[in-house]
Amino acid sequence: MKRLRSIEDFESLQSRIMTDHDAAVPTIVIPAGTCCQASGANDLIRVAKRELLDKKLTDTVRLRITGCQGFCQMEPSVLVEPRGTFYPKVGMKTMARIVEYVARDEVLADELFMSPDTGEQIERQEDIPFFRNQVRTILSRNEKIDPLFIYDYINNQGYSTLAKVFKMADPDWVINEVKVAGLRGRGGAGFPTGLKWEFLANQANGHGKFLVCNADEGDPGAYMDRSVLEGNPHGVIEGMIIGAYATGATGGVIYVRNEYPLAIKHLIIALRQAREVGLLGENILGTGFSFDINLVKGAGAFVCGEETALIRSIEGKTGEPRQRPPFPVQKGIEGKPTAINNVETWANIPIIIEKGAHEFAKIGTENNSGTKIFSLVGKAKYTGLVEVPMGTTIKRIVYEIGGGPVGDARIKAVQTGGPSGGCIPADLFDIPVDYDSLSKAGSIMGSGGMIVMDDNTCMVDIAKYFMNFLKDESCGKCFTCRKGTQRMYEILDDISQGHGTLEQLQLLEELAQVVKDTTMCGLGQTASNPVLSTLRYFREEYLAHIQDQRCPSGVCRALITYSINEKCKGCQLCLDACQQDAISGKKKELHFIDQSKCIKCGACKSVCKLDAIDVV
Amino acid sequence: MINLIINGLPVSVEEGATLLEAARFLGFPIPTLCYIDGLSPYGACRLCVVEIGEGPKAKLVTACTYPAEEGLKVRTASSRVIKARKMILELLLASCPQSKTIQDLAAAHGVRRQRFRQEYEDCILCGLCVRMCEEQMMAKAIGFRGRGQNRSVGTPFDIQSDICRLCGGCMYICPACQLRCTYTEPEKAVCGGCENLSPPCLEKEQFDDMMCYMDPCVACEITKD
Amino acid sequence: MKEENFLSIIGKHQAHLGGLISILEDIQTEYSYLPEQALRLVAQETGFSLVDIYGVATFYKLFSLKPRGKHLISVCSGTACHVRASSGVVEEFEQRLQINAGETTPDGEITLVTVNCLGACALGPIVVVDGYYFSNVNRQMVGEIIDNARAGIDRVDVDTDERIFPIEVSCPHCNRSLIDKNFYIDGYPSIRVTVSFGRRHGWVRLSCLYGSYSVEQEYEVPIDTIVDFFCPHCHAELSGVSDCTSCGAPMISAFIPGGGVLHICSRRGCKAHMLDLHGASL
Repeated sequence: MKRLRSIEDFESLQSRIMTDHDAAVPTIVIPAGTCCQASGANDLIRVAKRELLDKKLTDTVRLRITGCQGFCQMEPSVLVEPRGTFYPKVGMKTMARIVEYVARDEVLADELFMSPDTGEQIERQEDIPFFRNQVRTILSRNEKIDPLFIYDYINNQGYSTLAKVFKMADPDWVINEVKVAGLRGRGGAGFPTGLKWEFLANQANGHGKFLVCNADEGDPGAYMDRSVLEGNPHGVIEGMIIGAYATGATGGVIYVRNEYPLAIKHLIIALRQAREVGLLGENILGTGFSFDINLVKGAGAFVCGEETALIRSIEGKTGEPRQRPPFPVQKGIEGKPTAINNVETWANIPIIIEKGAHEFAKIGTENNSGTKIFSLVGKAKYTGLVEVPMGTTIKRIVYEIGGGPVGDARIKAVQTGGPSGGCIPADLFDIPVDYDSLSKAGSIMGSGGMIVMDDNTCMVDIAKYFMNFLKDESCGKCFTCRKGTQRMYEILDDISQGHGTLEQLQLLEELAQVVKDTTMCGLGQTASNPVLSTLRYFREEYLAHIQDQRCPSGVCRALITYSINEKCKGCQLCLDACQQDAISGKKKELHFIDQSKCIKCGACKSVCKLDAIDVV
Repeated sequence: MINLIINGLPVSVEEGATLLEAARFLGFPIPTLCYIDGLSPYGACRLCVVEIGEGPKAKLVTACTYPAEEGLKVRTASSRVIKARKMILELLLASCPQSKTIQDLAAAHGVRRQRFRQEYEDCILCGLCVRMCEEQMMAKAIGFRGRGQNRSVGTPFDIQSDICRLCGGCMYICPACQLRCTYTEPEKAVCGGCENLSPPCLEKEQFDDMMCYMDPCVACEITKD
Repeated sequence: MKEENFLSIIGKHQAHLGGLISILEDIQTEYSYLPEQALRLVAQETGFSLVDIYGVATFYKLFSLKPRGKHLISVCSGTACHVRASSGVVEEFEQRLQINAGETTPDGEITLVTVNCLGACALGPIVVVDGYYFSNVNRQMVGEIIDNARAGIDRVDVDTDERIFPIEVSCPHCNRSLIDKNFYIDGYPSIRVTVSFGRRHGWVRLSCLYGSYSVEQEYEVPIDTIVDFFCPHCHAELSGVSDCTSCGAPMISAFIPGGGVLHICSRRGCKAHMLDLHGASL
């Protein structure tokens, strides 16, 4: 790759690439993010390549491997451009047929997405309700770009906002744009990004300043950062270079969690290519401005998402948060001023510069501008990544985009914000999703996990799950966080076993409040949220466990029994599935569960095709 | 100099001073457990929490680590602070019932009972020993290992450290090992120290003429109730 | 376990930000755990105290102080996987392997761990075996996954697997075909190239099946050696423009008549390769 020495060099390269690119050539797009690969995208890629080579189509049909497009439930999927045809759940045989049809510019009608409500087939991706109801300013870039090739990004207007900023040559203008756009940090707390940059810009620049991209997406159930890094790493890099130019930062760090190998791989390639082209490093595009980005891998600790712990981890130490003040923007990495922003925040920067601050501010609501990506997962019909303007109601996200509940179940809550967030009950689904409304409802925006829960989800069990998570993930320094989460878990465990008492419930509430009050970092201060929010909205479930020794959702093992009803035809599937030999019965006769042997693992229920196993 | 207000009283302290230092300068008592003069403040036990700020932004911070800020309003004994301290002491008692230091602190704060399942972990991970070893003995033979519920203090690989000089500094400073409650069933007694007298003051006819220095004495308070 | 290996890892990262964690990560990747000897060496070389290094090694979940099995099975226990019953999957693995999560089977074959979130939440429960992802896992699939893990997850059956197909390659310099019709591997004509490493110089024949790693060689190339590849006709070096994303060694490239470039990692034992159908145009 040739190193670009000036802004003009870059612009001529960009226009050359863009003129060379013929958008009319039929292109098969195969998303291959981690989740796509988990459902078999790699096999599709191989089959597509085999067919293209075999049928000598490499000149007439293009193949593009991209990052995740978000409709994970339907993966592995294939998109055909320029028609916009979407094929869900594609198998290897179908892939071969798709290649054949694309070459003839035809649509393989029997493999299209079928609307479950109307039964009609929908050809184009943008007409599918899941996509139609979103505003995909960030995610839509994923499907346009092969993340392994910087030229592909440049071809899609990539780095042109950086060129624009360089031409403007006014760092204050950039900060002002970000401020006017009203962008708030997408990592959870919602601190205004422009303000943070201004603080950093105002720090003395004696020994260097750092910008950090926080990609330690530890919140279980959230994966939008992974998707953005895998699908569009250059978008984040471009955002960071712009940020560095605005704030005078001299060094950048992207801190990625180790559990995201593909994101790490794509970032390494993207950073190397950006360096080779001259968009990172010394004297970027001949402007005299220098900035480089290091990739630092996490080593598996949720608490490292907290700013001060993240800094310590970047320095190679244990991820123990420290007292703020001094804030990272005063004293960060190696004592130097440091501003930390989340992946999604960085990905928004080129969009703000491209659209203009005022246009950007029009998306969403006042004080909550722009779009936000949520990972809509759990018990919804369509799960995946969903990008909507801030202020969209939960109802719209869960029902119109997510398609509502799976089967006959009734959705009872969504959990947002991961272990730091809380559960929002279904009767509050009309609240808009923004920083302030969610926190008023006792939860937080967090990084954007949205886990749908239906009547088969036990709220005591969920609170217990999060406490179990947090008692492991607490760094252990603050006594109240370390011991408090352990004690809350202990009480919740008692309740789920049926030995809980009303006094314990009272103690749990008191303790939760004290843990919230007396711990130092964000992890501890929000650790009680799962308990407090479930107590606030689902107290009757707690009481059912304590007073009636009953788990209404049929989850807590100590309080449920499995039995076989008359629907049983004696197929023996459950008998084979039971590892405990607790099920007996002759072929074609009603089976029976020996309660003394049953460990309530639910294996029988998961294999029964006749709905013959009751859980009470 | 930095001017701030503690419990309504203005005070000026040097830059870099902590809230604990400022409060103690004014004579306001703030209980501490993991803080000792001569070792760097760490903020592990959370016992020294005080309330800062006003309105919805009011929050609790540890006085030992929080730097004095210009104009800050600090309350060292608001009801929120007292409630938090009592709960912390209850949690401490539940983990380490035999520490006389903790027993005394609990008694002094009017903690009468402990509602959690009793444990005998003893170590409360206050980190005094770790800092003692590093900062005063210049050894760094012990440190924290693990995280969350698996956090512990000890030597690498749990074997005798070649740096350790067996100076005993860690044991000397430990609030759990140093003074042990000698009552036979410490978990049942939040005794404020009197149970450690011999004979214990509960056998009160023997103490009729003795001026008790325990204040407040939980045993007496309970009798009064 | 050689001291030089550790020293080279330490040297690579020492000056960098987050150096200590990177050093430990590399040792962990190389040996699947952190040997005591290695940690003592790190302390000696970097000047960090052993207490701090041990603290870091036990703080982060990635590191293990005990040797791990040949195969690593990670079960995701993120929230989304949890509400879809991943705890039952963990239980099934524990029962079948007769170990608890976090332990290794006595035969040293399989280590079972739970991880907090692998970021494929829409498809939970997720299980990862040696880097290969399984989605929507239920209890019934567990037995098969274990069998797969024991057999080696990237094992392919070249005869029946439809993901495997023959490709033709030619030298990017002289354009002559590298296919050797007289020498068959996997039932197809092989790709012949000349390689040199150290002072050795000889032929290597690779399977022309994309996805097969079968190879025959004149001289046994030791694992991990980076070799230079040459065209057997014009003797030009088949050097590429990029480095391997898995191991960092240079990738070699060869043309595919009809369009595209095949990139293969030049390190013996590294399985990275990429078939780029449109690469020629860039």
